[in-house]
Amino acid sequence: MPVLRGAVTFSRFLVEPAEGAPADLKRSLSRALKARAFAPIERRSEEERAAGFVELENHDATDFATGDLFYGEYALFAYRIDQIKVPGPVLRAEVDKWAAAFEKEKGRPPSRGEKGENRSSVRQLLRNRAVPITKVHDVSWNLKSQQLQIWAASRKAVEEVLGGLETAFKIKLIPLIPASVAARTGIEDSALGPTAELIGMELQAEVSHGEA
Amino acid sequence: MGKREQAREEAAFMRGDVGVDGAATEEKQDAAEVERGKAREALLRGKAYLGREFLTWLLWRSESGEPVAAFEKTGLSVLFLGRVVLKGISGDVTELSARGAMAPYSEQVRQGMDRGLLVHQARLMLTHGEKAYEVTLDAEFLDIRAAKLPALMSEEDDSRTGERLYLAEQLSAMITTLVEAFIAVRAGRTWSKQVVPAMKEWMRGEEGTRKQTALQRAASARKR
Repeated sequence: MPVLRGAVTFSRFLVEPAEGAPADLKRSLSRALKARAFAPIERRSEEERAAGFVELENHDATDFATGDLFYGEYALFAYRIDQIKVPGPVLRAEVDKWAAAFEKEKGRPPSRGEKGENRSSVRQLLRNRAVPITKVHDVSWNLKSQQLQIWAASRKAVEEVLGGLETAFKIKLIPLIPASVAARTGIEDSALGPTAELIGMELQAEVSHGEA
Repeated sequence: MGKREQAREEAAFMRGDVGVDGAATEEKQDAAEVERGKAREALLRGKAYLGREFLTWLLWRSESGEPVAAFEKTGLSVLFLGRVVLKGISGDVTELSARGAMAPYSEQVRQGMDRGLLVHQARLMLTHGEKAYEVTLDAEFLDIRAAKLPALMSEEDDSRTGERLYLAEQLSAMITTLVEAFIAVRAGRTWSKQVVPAMKEWMRGEEGTRKQTALQRAASARKR
């Protein structure tokens, strides 16, 4: 739970409401989180992945009661991703073991169809035994300053949480990088081409031909 | 020629991979060219060059030890620490990593920058009043990585969470303040006429006296 303790690593964004966003975001926050709440992987189904919002301090809870969601100016919650992986080599070894037993018993190797059928049942069996890998990424959202932090180290995780947030809340998250800071202050793109003397002349030529 | 070999060659011809003479239709790209292409793409993606120019400008500005910008009416000083990664798009070297207590201000790093390599990742110490923060920044996203916040004063868990959130947001706001200061200079008239020439002079070591100041600052920072 990096918001509460541990490594301070996060991506920074500014929240901008998109079209159709509710006027009173604070009120609709809990509802939006519940609509995209985390639901565990259904063991009987084929799905290998589940993702959604959970409470910050209890990663199995999706009630988002006011007392658990708000902390002063902040809304604090988390995004949970569960994944079940059936290791390929284990599956192959199990199928080979079955094929050897089949041949011994019937005096012929299994047909492709029989092998395929067995593969899917072995896969399901291994899936049922596998423990899901869980990753949880905290989100802190200052509702006053509209700054939002995604507490994750991997960029892939940040992108996924970002997508989840933008869909759930109908917001646009602007990364706090120089290009967006410049755009916010009204500086035009044309004034911010690469500096040839610092970066190298060849890029300047490319950019002026419209590749950037 | 075996049947299988013949079939493979025919398939390659049908795909257009080889011509009637059996030679490849397209020359394979040179490895160095591929590397440079990747470096160029990384530089242009999301205007990452602005981030690199920002960190390079910040390194140059920080060497004097003077506050780089004002944050909440108090000076904000920056010191680059430890490891620094430089990236560029031209020449034989597209990435250079330097490690050492004063590596970011070293002559080798400055020479690399003079040859078109700019700061892509660095560890910084930000001093604001009596508070000191440490953070690793990368040019593309300016994400906060492995930050060290000032010691928490609160004792209760609940207050500690609030304080931690506050300090994390302060750190983020300080980075934004530095970016804003850079953007103001970058979009101004002095950038190409005064700032860039001064940075290039510094990279070439034509400024002379600043290195000692940075070393002294590093020593005092370690004492703290």
